[in-house]
Amino acid sequence: MRGKITIVLLSFGLLLTQLVNAQERTISGVVKDVDGVPLPGASIVVQGKGTGVQTDFDGIYTIDVVVGDVLEFSYVGMQKQSITVGSSNRIDVVLQHGNELDEVVVVAYGSQTKKSLVGSISSLGAETIEGQQLTSVTQALQGTVSGVNVITSGGQPGANPTVRIRGVSSINANAGPLYVVDGVPFNGNLNAISPDQIESMNVLKDASSTALYGSRGANGVILITTKRGKFNSNLQVTATAVTGFSSPAVELHEAEGAEDYLRHFWEARRNTFQYIDGQSAEQAGQNAANGIIDELGYNPYNVVQPIDGNGNIVAGAQLLWDTDWKDALMNRSALRNEYSLGIQGGGDSYSYFVSLNYLDQEGAMRNSDFQRVSTRVNIDSKLKDWLTFGLNTAITTSRSNNPTQSGNAMGNPIGWAYNVASIYPIYRRDPTGAYVLDAVGNRLYDYGDNGTEVNGSRPLNGNYNAVGMLFDDKNIDKNTNIITNGFMDIRFTDFLSFKTNISYENFLFDGYAYSNPFGGFGEGLGGRVIQNRNITTTLNINNNLRFSKTFGDHTVNANVIFETYKYKTDPMGATGTDFLGDISVLNGAATPTNVSGYIGEERLTSYLGRVGYNYKNKYFIEGSFRRDGSTKFASDQRWGNFFSIGGSWVISDENLLKDNPTIDLLKLRASYGELGNNSGFGLFPYLQGYTTGVSNLENKGVLLGSVTDPRLTWETTAITDIGLDFGFLNNRLQGTIGYFNKESIDLIYAKPLPGSTGNLSITTNIGSIRNYGWEFELNADIIRSDKLIWLAGINLSQVNNEITELTQESVIRGNKRLEEGRSIFDFYMREWAGVDPEDGYGMWFYDILDAEGKPTGERGTTKTFADAGRYYAGSSLPDITGGFKTSLQLGNFDFHTLFIFSFGGKVYDSNYAQLSAGYKGIGSPNGVGIGTDRWQKPGDITDVPLYLFASNQFNGQSTRFLFDNDYIRMRAITLGYTLPKTILNDIFINDVRFYLRGDNLFTWQSHKGIDPEQSLEGVTDNRSPQLKTISLGVNLKF
Amino acid sequence: MKKLLNFSIYTFTVLMALTSCSEDFLDDPQPTQQVSENVVFGSVDGVEAFISGIIREGRGRFDGQSTSNLSSYYVARIWKGDDMMFLGTGFWKIDYDYTGRTADNMRPRFIWNFSYHMINQINNLINGVEASPALSDSEKAYYSAKGKALRGFYYFQLALEFSKAYSVDPSFPAGPIYTELTTEGKPMSSCQEMYDLIVSDLTFAVENLTSDRLGKSYVNKQVAAGILARVYLTMENWEGAAEMANLAYDNDLAGSFAPELYGDGFLDINNPEWLWGYDQTPDQWVSAHTPAAWTDILSPGMGLAPYKVGYMNVNFTNLFSATDIRNLFQIQNANVNNVRHMTTTKFWFDKENLDYPIIRKPEMVLIEAEAKFRQGPAFEAEAHDLLYYLQKNRDPNAVKSSNTGGDLEEEILLERRKELYGEIGVEWFDAKRLQRGIVRTSNHQIQMTIAPNDILFVMQVPESEYDANDNIDPSVNNDR
Repeated sequence: MRGKITIVLLSFGLLLTQLVNAQERTISGVVKDVDGVPLPGASIVVQGKGTGVQTDFDGIYTIDVVVGDVLEFSYVGMQKQSITVGSSNRIDVVLQHGNELDEVVVVAYGSQTKKSLVGSISSLGAETIEGQQLTSVTQALQGTVSGVNVITSGGQPGANPTVRIRGVSSINANAGPLYVVDGVPFNGNLNAISPDQIESMNVLKDASSTALYGSRGANGVILITTKRGKFNSNLQVTATAVTGFSSPAVELHEAEGAEDYLRHFWEARRNTFQYIDGQSAEQAGQNAANGIIDELGYNPYNVVQPIDGNGNIVAGAQLLWDTDWKDALMNRSALRNEYSLGIQGGGDSYSYFVSLNYLDQEGAMRNSDFQRVSTRVNIDSKLKDWLTFGLNTAITTSRSNNPTQSGNAMGNPIGWAYNVASIYPIYRRDPTGAYVLDAVGNRLYDYGDNGTEVNGSRPLNGNYNAVGMLFDDKNIDKNTNIITNGFMDIRFTDFLSFKTNISYENFLFDGYAYSNPFGGFGEGLGGRVIQNRNITTTLNINNNLRFSKTFGDHTVNANVIFETYKYKTDPMGATGTDFLGDISVLNGAATPTNVSGYIGEERLTSYLGRVGYNYKNKYFIEGSFRRDGSTKFASDQRWGNFFSIGGSWVISDENLLKDNPTIDLLKLRASYGELGNNSGFGLFPYLQGYTTGVSNLENKGVLLGSVTDPRLTWETTAITDIGLDFGFLNNRLQGTIGYFNKESIDLIYAKPLPGSTGNLSITTNIGSIRNYGWEFELNADIIRSDKLIWLAGINLSQVNNEITELTQESVIRGNKRLEEGRSIFDFYMREWAGVDPEDGYGMWFYDILDAEGKPTGERGTTKTFADAGRYYAGSSLPDITGGFKTSLQLGNFDFHTLFIFSFGGKVYDSNYAQLSAGYKGIGSPNGVGIGTDRWQKPGDITDVPLYLFASNQFNGQSTRFLFDNDYIRMRAITLGYTLPKTILNDIFINDVRFYLRGDNLFTWQSHKGIDPEQSLEGVTDNRSPQLKTISLGVNLKF
Repeated sequence: MKKLLNFSIYTFTVLMALTSCSEDFLDDPQPTQQVSENVVFGSVDGVEAFISGIIREGRGRFDGQSTSNLSSYYVARIWKGDDMMFLGTGFWKIDYDYTGRTADNMRPRFIWNFSYHMINQINNLINGVEASPALSDSEKAYYSAKGKALRGFYYFQLALEFSKAYSVDPSFPAGPIYTELTTEGKPMSSCQEMYDLIVSDLTFAVENLTSDRLGKSYVNKQVAAGILARVYLTMENWEGAAEMANLAYDNDLAGSFAPELYGDGFLDINNPEWLWGYDQTPDQWVSAHTPAAWTDILSPGMGLAPYKVGYMNVNFTNLFSATDIRNLFQIQNANVNNVRHMTTTKFWFDKENLDYPIIRKPEMVLIEAEAKFRQGPAFEAEAHDLLYYLQKNRDPNAVKSSNTGGDLEEEILLERRKELYGEIGVEWFDAKRLQRGIVRTSNHQIQMTIAPNDILFVMQVPESEYDANDNIDPSVNNDR
């Protein structure tokens, strides 16, 4: 592979050599806008010759011409200007703000001018993407695009965030958008695309924008377009280096220390003896102290009996250790380094873009990191006037140390820190409390299983130690992603062209997990290695015939497209145990314990078409149609038809408003369409076969698979979209207001079955969900002068979710309940009724029933958890989400910041619940400050139950742990300084910019102790927090 | 323009060509890890593969560690008694303190869903075998008998857990009865109806099976008889219980005991005492659910397990004579009042060969003894002989007691506890069927007195069932 890359790079070197015509004369100048702001990257082309250059960072250009040549100056968002070369050697140009509507926007299977759009598309340009520290590019959508909900769960670098466009319109199928990179559906890991490769990210939100993706368009589409060189542009080299330090963005809940733990555990034991067993307070206190160390198994003090019958630490008792598990597990100074190199340019008949990016980032947990090398080469070649070839090639490899960072597995550090008290040591201790050392004098991790004496046997999480496992185990994921995407574009006439595009993607996942033999999953097995490899290949072929012609006031354009898609997954796994010494490869396994593997395939074949018509560039109408056949459904169900229709009216072009000095743009648009969703439910969800691979000893075995619906078919979503785009005051104030309504028609839904039927659910088309809401975007150029530029933008989204049809009255789903008229995000749980002052027990509400068993509407309280009723208790879906950004440019300084926010959602904090266990089990701590005002004696009025060392449900799932989860987060802040040109005059570098950048520096949240970004469902899961990063970077342009 | 025309023709041709083959293109991918009904029921091999799958699933991992498979039924019952103590914080705590029987809990949900999951598989086996054109009538009877033995076993677990003791109230609601695949939830049946099906299935199995089987983890005539012996014990059909127990151990007392292996850690299914169990190998192994995972205190740690949370009640261990081969108790903490004072080495946690006994022949001998005893004074001597045979086998110094009547009954029941503790939840099984209570003695962390026929002996129907079943509503739990 390395050889191939070299060849590709070499051929570029050759292409770069340009011929210089000695007879020409050199002219130069500056290109600015009306406010005097220099325009970097403006393109200057000699008409008819095809040669051209671009302006540098200060808007300066130099070009070789002969007298009489016509230069065409152009810049995105500006009106083109043509100037004939005369005698002057200097031509300065001021470009007029053009009609922004003439900008070209990448859309499904093509591009259109902004003006002609009838649908709802939000674009994110390279500048926004580069202004943030992104490991996974889709994070850039958070707070910058309305109608898009992005949640980054946890602090493992490289993890991709959850992205939902305009709500969640599926319960059991995949609700995430389709990602399309350079026109081709992307099946690799999104973190393979480095941000420096991206020219734009366009979010297609409504039916008319996504209809051409048919069966995959219902949840929205994100079009990622990578950078390309421009024909006739100078060689430009960009180099960037950024170094930063990261620490957890928010402080997580703190578990109490050893002394507090011991005293509180004593209190819990005393309460049990006193209130349950009926002993006197004195006797109970003494009994609680006696045997407390036996119970705990460990004694962190230097005296045998560290606590007395009154719950006081005895005089002279000193702590030998007081483990801060969280501190031992979390990385508070994670290093981040990123380097990138971009080369682009082009001549008359070719252009190129080459990028190389290296990222090395450590994560929130010690020993977690992410390293990535990504390369991309995009080439365009104009062989003839009518024939263009292009090839995009990207190769990315990444490697991450990926220790468990969520969930309840014993090795999850956060879960561990909340579950294991500080009285248990990290390293082994002998009965006197001294360290136990190995033969060479190193400390040994204490896996809590070292005989029966004190400090030997931990009564909880025996055989585990999250710290030991973090360092002694390995969890390494490697991804290799190779994409080659080639196209050929033929222009038959000025109105008819044909493009064929063939793309092949090969994604290799290589997972390696080693569990050490001393403790944890590999203990007693002599160590364990699990390796999983999965080769995923995607072949996509697309033929696109395009027509576009204007007849007077009438313009018609159309596409006819045929596409086939072939996806294949080929996973293989192996497990082996029992290794000699520190051997940790499968060859060294004494016992191979498992092999697995299968091949799965999915195919899609599609016919697509789009027809657009406009009258006087003022009234637009567009229709799209796609017919998809998929292998995921039985042959009589597999074809689905999807369509959309949309129109727009540029009101500001009407005579009445045409010359209005204030109003530059008013455009009303509307669309309706029906789209499908076919992902997230297996490759053959309609087949009930007999599953192989359940052999018993040496005998082959099969089992009946889950019950299926052979008539299962496409999930269809109907989307209505209405939007108003506006631009006022010479387009200094621009914005969009949008309304949408998405309703699923044949929801794919795992309908719960009674467990007694032998199946717990059946996947079928039933039920319906509606998502509707508003979006608002406003961008303002507050000040625009040659000295100072100040821009600001805000966007707001509001999404409602409603179940409109369900097969049964209600379905319990975790701590939610689905019911018609309710949202799938409505919490449904027991309602906390406080603490009984008499005995300190927790209480919950229940419905008082009448004689017929119907609720009377009155509620009583009960101390029996099982008897408590469950009630709706708010929603995890925020009322409003959005972002605010502003940027300031003053002289050589620039400043950017982006805030994201979310209000009105709730979160169920199970971490907090765990830390409120009140010592009902052995060895688990309470959180610091939780229970300061607990119930201690009859008559106490409080909300925290007594500590009790006995089974209870005081911290069972109830509204006691449901919190408002509002937050504002400063996602990014950057201060940059560009060296003055004068300093750089004598060296070959054109631009040098230094910048100081902060990511997630500031978080305000209504409920502290967790990262506010948890999950759409509003449920915590012992997750590591996101990182805040301060970094210093330098940008060089040659 | 000519170029264009040519190209258009070319494109059209290509598009048409691709279109015409698109159905083939879409028909081509097929699942690679599934086989069809025709393969399974098209041959004896296929049917046996299905039976192997069902046996494997019975020892698989259905849900969590304490909700894995059929051993989870028994281990949960072990902790409900007095002889052993559970000192852990999770897993079986809800069984030990009896809080886990309510509708919202994992225990009833697991027993319910797992049993019915297995029953659904078995129903499909039985119906598939009976409809198979490839099997002869005798093969059909034979293989559906294999299915029915297992179906009887799983329905019996449901009847035990979700109904009152059969002798108390045969009309008490029991779970629904299914013999065919359906997605419609059925209403509750009665305890009587469920026992009728169990007896009919197991009787059919005993009649149509032989002693052939693929291995000791599979069912045969003796296994079916063993299950039926337990069922008859519950139904107080003493004659039937004695007959079936005797059939289960082939009326071969000498061949039913291997005292020299009793102290070997209960690891190996090849032990001749074991009638039916499950057989694990290092590559087909579910980590931690058998009794050894909880009660093996003294072995070094073994990966996920042992959890070392199951200790012995010293009042119980004191009942064993010093020369009893079953006296495998070791003092761990010298303080007799310490909850971790006494441990047992009956079960060793060894991943290389940790098998699990579901039925052992000595249990069958004790069932026969009890069932004889209960048939009246005329059978007492015979019962006492069987009991003494076992006692003498376990302790060379054993002396035959002079007990008769109620004392002999107690002696038999005590012997069941001594022989079977930590295996099948014998205390709970006997306390429920004989309408006795359970009284915790000594230093149990959770002291409890469960009265005879206490509702704590009965599981509530899980929430998840009545949430999805139109024919069962929450009031089903009003009396439980």
